[in-house]
Amino acid sequence: MRRRLLVPLISVFVVAFGGLTANLLAGNSPALGLDLQGGVSVTLQPVGEYEANALDVAVEIIRQRVDSLGVAEPEIIRQGGTVVVNLPGVKDQQSALDLVGRTGELTLRPVLQMGTTATTTTVAGETTTTVDAVTSTSVAEQTTTTAADVATGPGSARRAATTTVPPTDSSVPVADDSAVPATTSAQPQLAEGQEILADKDGSFVYLVGPVAATGEVFENDASAEIQNGSWVVVVTLRSGAVGEDQWNAVAAQCFNKEETCPSQQLAIVLDGEVISAPAVQEPTFTGGSVQISGDFTESEARQLAKILEFGAVPVKFDAPTAQAVSATLGTDSLRAAVVSGAVGVLLVLLYLFLYYRRIALVVLLGLAVSGSLQWSVISWLSRSNGLALTLAGTAGIILSVGVTVDSYVVFFEKLKDSLRSGRRLKNSAQREFTAAWRTILVADTVSLIGAAVLWWLTVGAVRGFAFFLGLSTLIDMVIAYFYTRPMVLLLARTRFLNSASVLGVKRVESDVAAGGA
Amino acid sequence: MMAGLWNRLYTGTTTVDFYGKRKVGFIFSAVLVIITLGSLIGRGVNLGIDFTGGIAWEVKQSAELTVDTAREVLEANNIETANAKIQTIDSGDAARVRIQVEDQPENVASAVKKSLADKASVDVNEVSQSSVSSTWGRSITEKAAWALLWFFLLVTAFIVWQFEFKMAVGALAAVVHDIIISVGVYSLSGFEMTPATVVAFLTILGYSLYDTIVVFDRVRENTEMYSGSKVSYGDIVNVSMNQVLMRSLNTSISSLLPVVSLLVLGSFVMGAVALQEFAIALLVGLATGAYSSIYIATPLLGVLKERETKYAAMRGELSRGADMGRMIARGMTTTTRTRSATASEKPASESTPVAESLVDASVILSHPPRPRKKRQR
Repeated sequence: MRRRLLVPLISVFVVAFGGLTANLLAGNSPALGLDLQGGVSVTLQPVGEYEANALDVAVEIIRQRVDSLGVAEPEIIRQGGTVVVNLPGVKDQQSALDLVGRTGELTLRPVLQMGTTATTTTVAGETTTTVDAVTSTSVAEQTTTTAADVATGPGSARRAATTTVPPTDSSVPVADDSAVPATTSAQPQLAEGQEILADKDGSFVYLVGPVAATGEVFENDASAEIQNGSWVVVVTLRSGAVGEDQWNAVAAQCFNKEETCPSQQLAIVLDGEVISAPAVQEPTFTGGSVQISGDFTESEARQLAKILEFGAVPVKFDAPTAQAVSATLGTDSLRAAVVSGAVGVLLVLLYLFLYYRRIALVVLLGLAVSGSLQWSVISWLSRSNGLALTLAGTAGIILSVGVTVDSYVVFFEKLKDSLRSGRRLKNSAQREFTAAWRTILVADTVSLIGAAVLWWLTVGAVRGFAFFLGLSTLIDMVIAYFYTRPMVLLLARTRFLNSASVLGVKRVESDVAAGGA
Repeated sequence: MMAGLWNRLYTGTTTVDFYGKRKVGFIFSAVLVIITLGSLIGRGVNLGIDFTGGIAWEVKQSAELTVDTAREVLEANNIETANAKIQTIDSGDAARVRIQVEDQPENVASAVKKSLADKASVDVNEVSQSSVSSTWGRSITEKAAWALLWFFLLVTAFIVWQFEFKMAVGALAAVVHDIIISVGVYSLSGFEMTPATVVAFLTILGYSLYDTIVVFDRVRENTEMYSGSKVSYGDIVNVSMNQVLMRSLNTSISSLLPVVSLLVLGSFVMGAVALQEFAIALLVGLATGAYSSIYIATPLLGVLKERETKYAAMRGELSRGADMGRMIARGMTTTTRTRSATASEKPASESTPVAESLVDASVILSHPPRPRKKRQR
């Protein structure tokens, strides 16, 4: 029994303080937000002609893209005729440019040839089978040389096995990786407008022709759907010359395997990266919409839909410029928040010591443990996910101390009740914890639901809030079960919690009498 | 008197008749809500630059023109600087000062532009002026609104699953009440709404729900405990609230102390103005959150539950003082057990409202609950 309590207790200490030490040694510390530390400001200057409200649409699209990167709270604003993206917590300007600099230009380019990186693979034809080129990675291992038979290469065989989805009539199934000469051999003979592009993980390269159409042929309504049991992406074509007509012109070329598009495949290219290269299955798309099928998983389908939907920024931007911006609030704001927060926490502890007496030591140590956990997670995410604390976030964390204390209060009040009715903590602590845990669990679940919903569905500051709410609630639950419970139960066996004046309940019997009289 | 109250609070033996005085709370809240709605319609809310956008100037940084002098320029032109964003932009070779404030009339804007140029000793044309969109785009608001809708639906479902529908009604009413009043404080005082304020409101929402759930959990516990005996729902509500009163007070104090510290020490003493409005929003929200779980959510639940046939018979019957004290002190009667015709009735027959008028409160209360073998050693 004793062991069953000691193990979680020691584990929590090890995780919390170990994590803290590790982060301190690694030099991870929480990054600060735009208001406290400044960051990098990236200016996007539109070029060419664009509609007046197109810039607002562009801002929304860029917000969508930048916000999906992490939990930091970037600022995306339209300033005069430019779009300004302010990124907090970014160390160097180059990485900021990398983040924002993707101009989001979605283009459609006919595939001339394709192959894997650094190899000369083979296998022509077989374009009707459908494979999402992005998903397969293992082909790079094989170095088969020229052969026309699909089944020879082990990679191809594996691949054929995965291509179970037959192309539907209006579909543009995704490509088979038929072969091309590798990058090295192909480079010298590149014709005007041709380029060699890799896919996301760099395992396939495509020799593509000139840009045949831009993402503007699609409406911003791409969605992932299930059809016949597999995931497909459906997108509507914009009507008119820049939409349907342009698309059909390209589609016809590819379907007929004309010289400009011998492979029948049309690569969807975002910022120089081949997102997908479906083979065209119809010469003309009369239904006004395009369906892309393939061996997608749900997340792949959604990803592709998102790219089709948001990739097409209606404005073309010049090369972005990055500048460092200073904080809008002085460092004294942060110091004020931290100092007054610390004082506040001290006051809370003081109050708890006055009210609950010596058992408040459990809270003191508990706050140290949860503080270490929180610091570790935030520092680590600052490093890995670009999380950045704003002043409001800092204040929110300080506030969460009050809410964390509630779990102790609920438990201690139950213990007090139990002492008043004349029980000894040694016997009743476990049962009182079970009762308190129920309350904590229910109340925390509500907070977690809130955090999860807000996290999934929102962007920006609200998302940041959801993150911290979720984090502190989870830590609260972990601490209550793995720290407070074993700690109090163990202490309940010692004299520490079994002397008369513990928790401030003095004489047990007389109190009941007083209540009853 | 105070000492006595403190002692009772401390020992958890308060016998406040919250439920009997529920109308006071309802009327008080109704008045506040009406004032708030009036203010929201009449005055609206003062949205900050993050919501409305504004105007920005950029000028080369120099020894004469720094962030501080830029602030002075704004002040000289009677522009509120508390929420102005003044920062330096450093592109490596040249640094500029960027000043962003809320929209200004044309003459003020050009006056600022001119005085910035004067300060920096440059030509007026070297100060760029541009309009700035909001950082808080329409899509953020839309998404947040949808998320909130989903949140309420899920929380309702969760409460219905864990507790019951009437508790969901009570809890959500309390949350809406808190948010309305917190927004009202912003509307009435003319404080500027910033993204931090929105975050503060969300915090309030979460806190209020959390607080209510803890009270409801105790109500549920007591409802189960008294399910076999004739106890009016009003009594259950009163007993539960008195039992969790100290917990509510302690939690509220623990949550309020850091906020008060942020406000008084951080904002007033140390001068971090940015903390001030955030802290005020939280202060108001936490206070209303603690208030509403006791004066709105739980009494409302009581009103709804008393309409049920099971409790309708005993509607309005409340035990007070010592009787309540006895119930609060861990459950049941320790003293006299008055005999009467109804006292010996089995709980099964109690739904018939015949007995209603015959029984007086003390008899009902002295009826023992189910045997509690496990609870007493």
